[in-house]
Amino acid sequence: MILLTIFAAASLTNVLPAIDRHEHYSFAGSNALAAQLQQGAPADVFASANTSIPVQLFHQGLVEKPVVFTRNELTLIVPKSNPARIHSVADVANPGVKLVVAATGVPVGDYTRTVLHNMKQDAVLQNVVSNESDVREVLAKVALGEADAGFVYVTDARSVAGKVKTIGIRWSAQPRVSYAVAVATGSKHKAAARAWVKKLLGKAAQAKLRAAGFLPVR
Amino acid sequence: MIRRAVVFGLASVGIGFFVLPVVAIFARVPPARLFAQLDNPAVTDALRVSVETSAIAQTLILLVGTPTAVVLARRFRGRDLLVALVELPLVLPPAVAGLGLFAAFGRFGLLHTTIPFTKLAVVLAVALVSGPLYVRGAIAAFEAVDGNIVAASRTLGAGPTRTFFRVVIPLARAGLAAGAALALARGLGEFGATIMFAGSLRGVTETLPLAVYSEFNVDFDTALAISALLVALSAALLVALKWRPSLSTLRFRFAASS
Repeated sequence: MILLTIFAAASLTNVLPAIDRHEHYSFAGSNALAAQLQQGAPADVFASANTSIPVQLFHQGLVEKPVVFTRNELTLIVPKSNPARIHSVADVANPGVKLVVAATGVPVGDYTRTVLHNMKQDAVLQNVVSNESDVREVLAKVALGEADAGFVYVTDARSVAGKVKTIGIRWSAQPRVSYAVAVATGSKHKAAARAWVKKLLGKAAQAKLRAAGFLPVR
Repeated sequence: MIRRAVVFGLASVGIGFFVLPVVAIFARVPPARLFAQLDNPAVTDALRVSVETSAIAQTLILLVGTPTAVVLARRFRGRDLLVALVELPLVLPPAVAGLGLFAAFGRFGLLHTTIPFTKLAVVLAVALVSGPLYVRGAIAAFEAVDGNIVAASRTLGAGPTRTFFRVVIPLARAGLAAGAALALARGLGEFGATIMFAGSLRGVTETLPLAVYSEFNVDFDTALAISALLVALSAALLVALKWRPSLSTLRFRFAASS
């Protein structure tokens, strides 16, 4: 039996093993995984939290044509104890709030900045105390209670529901968060990799994704 | 003859292995590009943060580490255990050190502080992982000071403070300097504990090693240029250490005591 090496966005950490627990997964920020692929990392499949990174890799000849397989939304999270008493996105701009976000270039970091721009709340970014390299590090620092607030995907917030409170972001301010998957051109198991991608687009996998809070592809 | 060839063969593999990655960094960054990067704000900001935090950490290490070493250089029950505990951060995985800093100094840590994600957090992370290197060197240096000379100083009427500053410190100076230089070099490279406990924010907590990590995902060439800068800094420290002739005898003492 062939075990595939799957490079996947950190936000897929819980759901992909639930869909198929047999493969070798490497979860990180999609841009970090892309940098590894560009340095010749041996992956069979690449699943990114946006479409622009896999499209760029496609143009560089590193992956086959990417396909969108799921979608997501952003949410603001605060620790359950809510030490900075944040009840809206605007509250995050209050003096002294410790906001943790993902860095620019990390998909969720770019989405975070889009959301704030859409809401005309760019001033919130003055309270950033750390630019993290993937969404799970943002999640961990808020869940730990050390950061006052963070922007993550709705699905991440669900995975630590007992430790964080979510403050929803209105639909009109949401960016278009689409996840794209592609087979790596350097893969030694292309047939198996393509079959895996097909499975990800299939009914059973899509049901698992929706159960975890991901949104169907329109 | 064959045995000799095998030894030399393996030795050249070893030397090549240690040297190659460092040489490769410079092979991929032409010097002109390296100097051009010194104008890149991402690089200069990280350099400034690294220099500031390392300077403060080093000062704290010298101020607190020296008395620590004086005490630990004495013989008493449980000393070996205490020395082992103090040296433990040296061998801890940096991520564990970072977690430990949260557990101790975090908002919900034992001491309930607001240090995480500040420049002071970088200083603490650096001091935690590099300080023991200085303490270790300083203990060895103090132990190597001839007790007879110290006793003579006291007999001749010098008080303990005067004896310490006029006799013990000058005698241990070479060892203290070596320990300090090693700690500084290690501190400049600190990564894991810093990124966990202090986070990464340009101009505030993003040190040179953190900048290498974040630039790797954005621009490989900039990451290489910062790496080259770090290699140059570390090499300068090591060279300064090796070129002090008085230190050559001291390295034997280090080897003997460790």
